Amino acid sequence: MLRSSLFVSISFLLIPLIGQAGATIEGHVDLPKAPTAAVMNQRYEVITNGGVVSINPPLAVVYLEGNFPATDTPKTEQMAQRNFTFLPAVLAIRTGTRVEFPNEDNAYHNIFSYSPPKRFDLGRYRTDERPVPSEVFDKPGLVTLRCDIHEHMRAIILVLDTPHFVLSDTAGNFRLTDLPPGRYTLKAWLNSKTTLEHAVEIQADSTLRSDFP
Amino acid sequence: MIVVSAISALTLYIVENRATVNFERELKQEFQYGLAALHQSQQIRHAAILERCRALVKKSRIHAALEDNAIDLLYPSAREELRDVMENPQDSSSNAGLHGLSAKFYRFLDREGRVISPPTDIDIGQLSKTEESQLSLPHTPATPQLGYLGRDNPTEGDELYEVIAMPIVSSETGESIATLVLGFAPMNLDALANHPALRSGIDTNGRLYLTALSPSASAVLSNKISNTQSGPATRNSQRVEIDGTPYLFFHTILNPGSLFPAAYEISIYPLADFLFRQRELRWQVGGIGGLVLIGGFLISRFLATRLAKPVEELAFDSANNFALRQQAEAALETTNRELQRSMRFSADASHQLKTPVTVLRAGLEELLAEPHLSPRQCDELAALVHQTYRLSGVIEDLLLLSRMEAGRLAIDFSPVNLSHLIDGWLDDLGALPDPLALKAETDVPPNIYIAGEQRYVTLILQNLLENARKYNRQNGRIHIALRSDETQVVLTIGNTGRPIEPEAQEHIFERFHRGTAGENIPGYGLGLNLARELSRLHRGELRLVRSRDDWTEFEVKFCPSARPCLNKVS
Repeated sequence: MLRSSLFVSISFLLIPLIGQAGATIEGHVDLPKAPTAAVMNQRYEVITNGGVVSINPPLAVVYLEGNFPATDTPKTEQMAQRNFTFLPAVLAIRTGTRVEFPNEDNAYHNIFSYSPPKRFDLGRYRTDERPVPSEVFDKPGLVTLRCDIHEHMRAIILVLDTPHFVLSDTAGNFRLTDLPPGRYTLKAWLNSKTTLEHAVEIQADSTLRSDFP
Repeated sequence: MIVVSAISALTLYIVENRATVNFERELKQEFQYGLAALHQSQQIRHAAILERCRALVKKSRIHAALEDNAIDLLYPSAREELRDVMENPQDSSSNAGLHGLSAKFYRFLDREGRVISPPTDIDIGQLSKTEESQLSLPHTPATPQLGYLGRDNPTEGDELYEVIAMPIVSSETGESIATLVLGFAPMNLDALANHPALRSGIDTNGRLYLTALSPSASAVLSNKISNTQSGPATRNSQRVEIDGTPYLFFHTILNPGSLFPAAYEISIYPLADFLFRQRELRWQVGGIGGLVLIGGFLISRFLATRLAKPVEELAFDSANNFALRQQAEAALETTNRELQRSMRFSADASHQLKTPVTVLRAGLEELLAEPHLSPRQCDELAALVHQTYRLSGVIEDLLLLSRMEAGRLAIDFSPVNLSHLIDGWLDDLGALPDPLALKAETDVPPNIYIAGEQRYVTLILQNLLENARKYNRQNGRIHIALRSDETQVVLTIGNTGRPIEPEAQEHIFERFHRGTAGENIPGYGLGLNLARELSRLHRGELRLVRSRDDWTEFEVKFCPSARPCLNKVS
């Protein structure tokens, strides 16, 4: 159920990129195997083990690092609380993006984060809270989200200083589109301690194949 | 009495001993039950504390601070989460119902079991560095740990805190990532105990925390505990001497298997009151027992005296009777010996007399045969010969009586025809001179047989019939009757003549007795005596039926006998 929801979210992110013209990078990331450690509840897709935050089942966030012009119109994303889980559980956003946290459960939630890139506490609110509580993530980094009321709820937001990023599928395949030509570093975020990278040179209207590793 | 007293004293001792043992056992059981109730209260309290701690270590903010690289927010977040758990000195009302469930301090331990240094601006309960270091553990525990932390306080007395170390477990991996340590004030066992004299404390880290205990007493108890710690922990009680006062001593380990130092719960109860009551009981039992013994002794003595009196009298009488009997037996023996000697004398005399009488008679008869005797001499000699015959008869009777009395006369029973004997005597009577012109009447059926010996039956008949003839009157008569049935044969012999005097009738069967009627009648007073003795030897009896109005009648009873068969007779 959650996996299908995640895939829907990933597809939703990929659709606007696919439709644009420009260079494309596609490839495959060798994802780490699923953790063998006991998982107390399969709904949890964000795992913190030994200080390392990872996603289960493993996914990769592939993004292109470089100097990209800042946008004048920051985007707004949503991470809802539905059925006492975050949806999506993994969200990659560009720096400066506002994320709304609508409560779709008929119960209170209290979303907070102690992560250094963004510490916030939305306080307790219900589904009819207006405006929808939101936060602007203006520092790149990994932000772990929790609910103070429901200890099991966990999500991560990967704040990236780039507009070009995509989540791989569970097989590790990715496709980045509408890329400007130039020399960049292609990175694949696997967990809070592991980020793979390649130097890539993108030709205009070309398709580049780049696999990790 | 001594045995009864000893048994009673032993019984009293056993009863008193058993009462004491039971009393002490009940006392121990009572305290063990009381302590068990206290421990149950403690367990309930621990369960409540642990439940609160489990809820705390699940708090998202604490996990976020530990897992999301936000250690700086750990204590601030915990302050919020533990606000209800921590004791608030300013607001005593909020924790009024949570006695012992409010924490005095808290700390977090990292993965290595070291205390995570708290910020200085947050009140998490003051602890010195030394005290804080005592909260450290060798490693992060997998399960809750119980320990005790002592604090020396010279002014207000030493304090002791109950420490609960609750592991913080990652909800994803199940690993312990940190530990929350909370310090609580321990339960006041003394206040909860039903016995005011019961005092409880805790021994940990080689230090005994028991209020108002002298240093020497603490040393004694610590020594006792160190000795008992070497063995298995037990709830059994022991006796211990503290400052000269005996105490009942209980100890039990409170945190078996804990990563914290072992802590022992120590309970002591002064036995002075118990021993006083025991002594009192002993004196009471001893006193009552002594009184009972003395009373029993006096009562038994009184009863024994009362009961012994008749027995003593009986014994006295018995002794007297015994002496009398011995005297009587001695007298009887003497009499018997005299009688035997007398009978021997009679028999010997009779035997010795028979020969001279026979010689005398033979001499007289020889003289009587001389041809030249005058008629007067012949009459004299004939009278002398007649006297020798009488003398021989008397000697024979005496000899017979001697034999009877010596028991040497045995009757050779055989059928005797009594009718025939009577007829024979009647024939003899007819041949004798009859100066009195007597008339004999008989009512004798023929062939009446009795059991007896003929010569002695003849003697009986001769004596009775001779008397009937001798003591008759002129023209008198003699009546002889014989009747028989299956059980007896009765012979009655009656004669006319002067009756026997009534006062003399009871003496006529005595030896050598002669009535006044026989003064001129020859005889020696042996006949009736001999006849009666002989009839008794024949299992019969001779008695005087009557003697009055010119009529005297005797009756002899014999045992009947069957007629002998002809073959035997022939």
